[in-house]
Amino acid sequence: MYYHPSRKLTKGSKPIIFIHGTGMDHTVWTLPIRHFVRKKVDVMAVDLPGHGKNQDKALESIDKISTYLFNFLDKNSISECSIVGHSMGSLIALEMASSMPERINAISMIGTAFPMQVGEALLESAKQNSQAAIDILTFMGYSYSSRLGGNKNPGMWMTESTRRLMQKSKKGIIYKDLKACSEFSDGLEKAKKVKGKVQLILGSNDFLTPRIRAQDLIDHFNNPQVKEINGSGHSLMMEEPNKVLDYLQELFLN
Amino acid sequence: MKKPKDLNLETLSLHAGNKPDSDFGSRATPIYQTSSFVFPDSETAAGIFNNERAGHVYSRITNPTNAVLEERISSLEGAIGAISTASGQAALFLAITTIAGQNSHIVASKSLYGGSHNLLEYTLPRLGIKTTFVDFRKPKQVKSAIQKNTHLLFGETLGNPGLDVMNIEMISDIAHKNKIPLLVDSTFTTPYLMRPFDFGADIVFHSATKFLSGHGVVIGGLLVDSGKFDWNSNKKFKTLNEPYEGFHNMNFVDEFGPAAFINRARKEGARDFGACMSPHTAFLILQGLETLSLRMEKHIANTREIVNFLNEHDKVKSVSYPELKNHPDHKLASKILPKGSGAVFTFEIEGGYSAGKKFIESLNIFSHLANVGDAKSLVIHPSSTTHHRMDKASLKKAGITENTVRLSIGIEDSSDLKEDLNEALKQSNR
Repeated sequence: MYYHPSRKLTKGSKPIIFIHGTGMDHTVWTLPIRHFVRKKVDVMAVDLPGHGKNQDKALESIDKISTYLFNFLDKNSISECSIVGHSMGSLIALEMASSMPERINAISMIGTAFPMQVGEALLESAKQNSQAAIDILTFMGYSYSSRLGGNKNPGMWMTESTRRLMQKSKKGIIYKDLKACSEFSDGLEKAKKVKGKVQLILGSNDFLTPRIRAQDLIDHFNNPQVKEINGSGHSLMMEEPNKVLDYLQELFLN
Repeated sequence: MKKPKDLNLETLSLHAGNKPDSDFGSRATPIYQTSSFVFPDSETAAGIFNNERAGHVYSRITNPTNAVLEERISSLEGAIGAISTASGQAALFLAITTIAGQNSHIVASKSLYGGSHNLLEYTLPRLGIKTTFVDFRKPKQVKSAIQKNTHLLFGETLGNPGLDVMNIEMISDIAHKNKIPLLVDSTFTTPYLMRPFDFGADIVFHSATKFLSGHGVVIGGLLVDSGKFDWNSNKKFKTLNEPYEGFHNMNFVDEFGPAAFINRARKEGARDFGACMSPHTAFLILQGLETLSLRMEKHIANTREIVNFLNEHDKVKSVSYPELKNHPDHKLASKILPKGSGAVFTFEIEGGYSAGKKFIESLNIFSHLANVGDAKSLVIHPSSTTHHRMDKASLKKAGITENTVRLSIGIEDSSDLKEDLNEALKQSNR
């Protein structure tokens, strides 16, 4: 499995693992990864199977991805870790934290909801590897305001950057990812089982996982930290990179 | 499934990248005329310097006014990001040096702006970067010029001044089969007439001095990255796919994926070469962009009228404009430039050098100067000015003779322009 920054893991390490969303890869985490590396915190942004530089076959369910990641942790003698997940990655974080709560110290779920149901038309479009699926995910992935830019990261056009990353994903990946999100079940029961610290970072203008659809999850966690970013859409790390980092610092460094 | 509707060029030209100012509600993009930016605390400063936080440090590298312009041109071109530079030449230099260095090679079109030709032919060899100039209309020539150390193919959407129309699909196909990117100078066309990325180009640059700003009041350039080229596909792009000691061993492909090129260009090139754009210039280019579609429409309408007028004039030997049926790229232009083939073209005047000189000096509305893309109409004699460093053979290859006159058609009333040209043509042979 590929992860960034690439290095040999030390035995006994309790890393923070960053997990990307649908059709993405580890590069969505470059800014926070650079921060935690500077703070000498053990971090790794993974490429899920079939994504980015990970040549393993893509997996079709959140459950299987979770098992895959636990196997990776076992192979590297990592008994405990924390997880930051965006969108699909947030469901993987929830699955891992509920299936082995003693191993997951904290989770941060960014741009999340339960259920994370995906419409049939979008699924079908993704199944056909259609550009329309990428276009709608890009369009819905940003707030009205962010579609017109105003990137905090100077000179970068957000929507096209997201579109390009998805266009670079292998055929069939986006469909498998969306299907995995859509079929993820028992989220509320799983939320009750989580023992570690829980944080949710949500965008008030998120069209893919609307803020209101995170409420049931919030209600089923034990004392979660809820951070709502006013005006942000689903692509929170692009739209509000500094606020996301502030909240992650609050969870992991304070 | 119905695709979401993207905003159109006319809307993006006015709005992309800009939000009303959060402090005072300014609707226009404020000019952040400052060299540097105050950090709220040491930790934030360290975070911005380490590229873990978004923000501005120093206007040589980024500036909020310039950032709006960079986003706006990215939105118009369908790009992931851009960098504003001191001039179009600075953008070209930045593009090349971001991926090429000692023992690198470029294959370029023989029909280039004289300034670009100078850079490639005379200056870059001093830095170990050599160029082979070929006819981009001849794919065999392009293919056979590619060497093991070729890092780039480079040409102009419309060659200057002969208006060779680049077959971007064909050239980019050759580039990509050889795992090298295609860089395109899109100054003459602007995104209003054509978006080179839609046809396979990987990197675009503009002299924003021309149609983008549109009023002949600034010098500026824009380097624009499609994010499409796979920099990991070829080991020779070491500046992007190997650790860079000059930025804590950052591997740009690993950290930025599709945005590797534009990030390296900023983090190294903007930082070290320093050819940055002034925020005031960025503001003026933004003002120009707001009316890009209106101006281009008028530029093209006037150009069509004047091309037809000159084409039928008895003091004119020939007119070179891709919309004319006798132009070698007429068919290609109708396919990839349906909205028009630009507002710059050349014609051959009857009577040779002295007639050309007299003609230019007899014009009243047209200004004799070394620029194109102004709202005002312009004229120049390429062989004695913009291309004067080229020898006769190179001039011939670029389609320039002593009789060649270049016009850049503005947005004045077309009948006034025709009248001015007609009177000057009459004077030219007296």
